[in-house]
Amino acid sequence: MDAAAAPGAAAGGQQQQQPAPPRAERLNGEVQSQLNLEGMRARAVGLYKAISRILEDFDAIARVNPSGSPKWQDVLGQFSMVSMELFNIVEDIKKVNKGFVVYPRNVNAENAAILPVMLSSKLLPEMEVEETTKREQLLSGITNLPVPSQMEKLKARIDMIANACETAERVIAECRKTHGLGARQGANLGPMLDKAQAAKIQEQESLLRAAVNYGEGLRVSGDQRQMHSSLPSHLMEVLATGDGAHNFGDNSGAYPKNTPAFSPNNVNAQGNPMQASGGQLLGRSAPSPGTAGTPNFENVSTPPMPYANSPRSGTNMMNTPSPQQHLTPQQQRQKLMQASQQQQQQLRPSAAGMLAQSSVPQLQDLQGQAQQKVAGQQQMQYSQAQALSQFQNRQMQAARMQPGMSQSQLNQGNQLRSHLGQFTGAANSAMFTAAQASSNSQMMANIPGTMQTMQSQSMMPQMQFGLTGGHPQRSHQMMTDQMYGMGGANTTSMMGMQMQQQQQQQQQGLYGNMQGGGQSLQQQGMVGLQNQQQNQMQGGGQSLQQQGMVGLQNQQQNQMQNQMQNQMQNQLQNQMPNPNFSQQRQQNQQ
Amino acid sequence: LTFFFLWVCTMQHVEALEVLLQGLSGVPKERVRVHELCLKSVPMLGAVPSEVRLLCDLAQPTPSWTIRHVGGAMRGAGAEQISILVRTIVESKASSNVLRYFYGIGYKLDHEILKVGFAFRFQRGAQFTVTVTSANKMPKLHATDEAVQVTPGIQLVEITAPAAANNYNDVVSAVTSFCEYLAPLLHLSKPGNSTGIVPTAGAAAASLMSSGGAKTL
Repeated sequence: MDAAAAPGAAAGGQQQQQPAPPRAERLNGEVQSQLNLEGMRARAVGLYKAISRILEDFDAIARVNPSGSPKWQDVLGQFSMVSMELFNIVEDIKKVNKGFVVYPRNVNAENAAILPVMLSSKLLPEMEVEETTKREQLLSGITNLPVPSQMEKLKARIDMIANACETAERVIAECRKTHGLGARQGANLGPMLDKAQAAKIQEQESLLRAAVNYGEGLRVSGDQRQMHSSLPSHLMEVLATGDGAHNFGDNSGAYPKNTPAFSPNNVNAQGNPMQASGGQLLGRSAPSPGTAGTPNFENVSTPPMPYANSPRSGTNMMNTPSPQQHLTPQQQRQKLMQASQQQQQQLRPSAAGMLAQSSVPQLQDLQGQAQQKVAGQQQMQYSQAQALSQFQNRQMQAARMQPGMSQSQLNQGNQLRSHLGQFTGAANSAMFTAAQASSNSQMMANIPGTMQTMQSQSMMPQMQFGLTGGHPQRSHQMMTDQMYGMGGANTTSMMGMQMQQQQQQQQQGLYGNMQGGGQSLQQQGMVGLQNQQQNQMQGGGQSLQQQGMVGLQNQQQNQMQNQMQNQMQNQLQNQMPNPNFSQQRQQNQQ
Repeated sequence: LTFFFLWVCTMQHVEALEVLLQGLSGVPKERVRVHELCLKSVPMLGAVPSEVRLLCDLAQPTPSWTIRHVGGAMRGAGAEQISILVRTIVESKASSNVLRYFYGIGYKLDHEILKVGFAFRFQRGAQFTVTVTSANKMPKLHATDEAVQVTPGIQLVEITAPAAANNYNDVVSAVTSFCEYLAPLLHLSKPGNSTGIVPTAGAAAASLMSSGGAKTL
């Protein structure tokens, strides 16, 4: 506080002067006459005490009654008193400021830096700017005149303003008196309301009271009570079937559903009307409009349904009809095996074909084809074992390692499993490899989730084959006894196939190791393929470091390589001495 | 449970009132958005029509329903002397099926109202709940998004506190003294009586707002 500092400084100054008797100085005579130092000090101390007393009172009140507060009147009174006293002190000191210099007594590390700034009388830069602008404003009109006339003009202005203030104050005081307000209240008085306004307000008030208490003015005639088309959310599920009397029995079981936020996925997926998640439940027990979408249920048991509609599924259809896809890839694989590899794409009308196309060179087409295939497949294998589809779904969910690709591969594998029995292992593996190649890393980026689903399914079986020796770990999620069994069963055929493929591949120099290669794949897609696969894929423990899919990819790529013609050399690297390897694998599988 | 009610109407100085309540209560305000459905029983269900109110709290992310039954008010000479309305209220939380249920047992929707505003809950001799809301009516059935104010510019201030049969005197005094704090801004009265405006409301509101908010010392 300035007041505190100034008396302190003044007192200090005096004290410093006094202890130095040889240089005992007296305060300048003028100053002394004008400034009663002792008195000033007394006042300062008194003020300090008053303030601390007031603060103590506040604390006491707060302690006694935690939620209590001092009365406003008292507080304001005390405050005004204190501030007046302070003002007086400051005024007195200002008169004699010139006689004193502030001498800092308490200099320590922290304020040493700031002291010069505080003691300086030079304005801060921004303050200086302010001052100059204000000065310009003031003197804008009269800077040309000689200084005395400037002073006169300014004085005139000041007088005018003072007069205006005086009259304003008078008016305020009068108003206060008339309104009976104390002198302490705010000067802001609202306008008095005239009779008409008061009456209106009265009337509104009674309206409001009637409305809230008795509902007057809120009753809606019968015809207006049609159910609104869009109910607010909290009423949606409650009034799904409209207003009026409902049998309580409609609610199948008392679902204590306070939340309209029934899993929206399900609602949407099933095509139920958005109206009521409760309606959805109702739909199960009673025919409600939403059940149209539930054919999905038939295909897949309910638990996987949420998964089916999980974020992965941009397309519900894609997930659930996974079992449908079984046949297609198998069939296609067979064809592929027989036809030249270059024709693989054409050979696969359905998803399997998609897989083929997805082989490296044709990644571009993959998406389109995949989609086609998918569609085809959807229709197809509806009859597939639902258990299988469920399993696939689960695996899809379980093996959700990489977006789409891996899972899709898995699923495909699942689906393919059933096919494996039907088709030769070779065919399957070929299909797989092709599928894998397609759905492999390159696919990954492009393929929409559904596509990947498709592919993965076809890929699965291959993976199993490929991984036989090496990595039970790898596909343990996906591998089931079925798979192994199938793998075993198809050993010979596979072998044969592989042999063929290998030969073909060798001719082109693109030998990939079908199964083994997959195992050592360290990533999905090409990159992994690049690394290892050079004859390293032996049935033994190939560290397929990614999901089986990866392995599958490798395999596919190997097979695809024939077609590829070095477009994707990375993929070509899985070169394995297949015959032995596959044998080994299959044996392991068995 | 017995609840006290003091009902009030205030003029536009809602913000000032909010500031004042905030200072007096010391708790942050809560948003209030309640869809109140008043159901009445059909005559055939009994000699006396009974009324029940369903309140759906829309302020929370999950709407929650409450059933409230308003009983008769305390009558008699004693009631006249007390400046507060004392009446019996039974409240209960319910599931979202409550509306269906009541429809099912024969109640019909009498009227519905949407109350939007804020509330303060604090302890000050009694458990106070001060609610400042604007009553809105819905042009179409249940169209809470299209609600318009019944009386634009005027809001309803309710002060309620629960009490038991034996301590309601204390609660009465607590509520009354609390209402004195609000005297500069508004007049409170029993639900049946009309209050009018407080002449000093404008000044009080202005002073409350200008000081940047009353701070509890």
